[in-house]
Amino acid sequence: MSHLALIVASNPLTPLEHAARHVLNWLHFTIGLPWAWSIVALTVIVRILLVPLTVRQIHSMQNLQRFAPQMKEIQKKYKADKQRQNQELMKFYKENHINPAASCLPMLAQLPVFLALYYSLRHFSHEPASKHPGSLSFLHFVPSIAAHTTTHWGGYVLLAVYVLSQLASSYYMSASVDKAQRTLLMVMPVVFVFFIARFPAGLVLYWVTTNLWTVGQGLITRRLMPRPAAPEKRTSRTPPRDEGDGGGNGATPEPSGRPPAQPARNQPPRRVRRKKKAGRR
Amino acid sequence: MNVVLRVPAYLGIGLVWVYRATFGALFPTTCKYHPSCSEYAVQALKAHGLLRGGVMAGWRLLRCNPWSEGGYDPVR
Repeated sequence: MSHLALIVASNPLTPLEHAARHVLNWLHFTIGLPWAWSIVALTVIVRILLVPLTVRQIHSMQNLQRFAPQMKEIQKKYKADKQRQNQELMKFYKENHINPAASCLPMLAQLPVFLALYYSLRHFSHEPASKHPGSLSFLHFVPSIAAHTTTHWGGYVLLAVYVLSQLASSYYMSASVDKAQRTLLMVMPVVFVFFIARFPAGLVLYWVTTNLWTVGQGLITRRLMPRPAAPEKRTSRTPPRDEGDGGGNGATPEPSGRPPAQPARNQPPRRVRRKKKAGRR
Repeated sequence: MNVVLRVPAYLGIGLVWVYRATFGALFPTTCKYHPSCSEYAVQALKAHGLLRGGVMAGWRLLRCNPWSEGGYDPVR
């Protein structure tokens, strides 16, 4: 018992690591999957457990997309003051009962699993082969999932798949309307490849699987749950339209007999903004 | 003495920074609260020390789930 307490004190993740290893062993020895496919199966199990959380996240993400134009307006209005901008956005969420997709808990739920897998795969590579009999290869192009990714050309293929899957999954999961943040999300996987290259290939396999699961989930939910129509609801921030004297509201239908109104002559000509690209030859 | 007492809190803040540099960047999500969970953790640790600040940060993380409303929630 004291031995167990010592292990827990030295590394709080040890019990989780053992649990991950137990599930992996079970998938390999009892179910009969090869080691690489056991990792894939373990990932799928974790993601299935997280499905109720992600379904809710996707629902609220669609809600967020619906209100994106209004939120962009708020962001523009308080461009200089980030703090104020965030507060106004939060207020807007509350007013419209938006539950933003992002929340830290589901993301953090993946973290211990990831770390446990990392440790168990690291120990895996130090163990003698007799402790984990069976093939360590994956689809014949990665010879060992316990070795570093860059020890074989197959690892590079896996890294390329990782980058693509990470890009695709951040495309589906990023609810942010902020362009700079979206760009960062797209650049990150490319930067992180250099760190990930030093991980055991099995860990990259976990990552690829979880990303592909995210993409699949995104595709399915997009098909099953079409985007809801634009909201009619007004907020305190958008003043009601002046309907008293019919002052130039383009939305009000004109009586059929009247000719369409001429644009006022004394106004400056309307500026048309062109995209920069269109001007280049 | 005061500085010595603050050391544990700064260790906690260091951990938050390690998280930000590694997993925070790998699994990018924007928090539904303002300030975000990690910023809240740093502020709570600074204001209340490792124990109370840590518990506050943990409680905030638990609240930051898909069923909560989110919103403006500063360290008190």
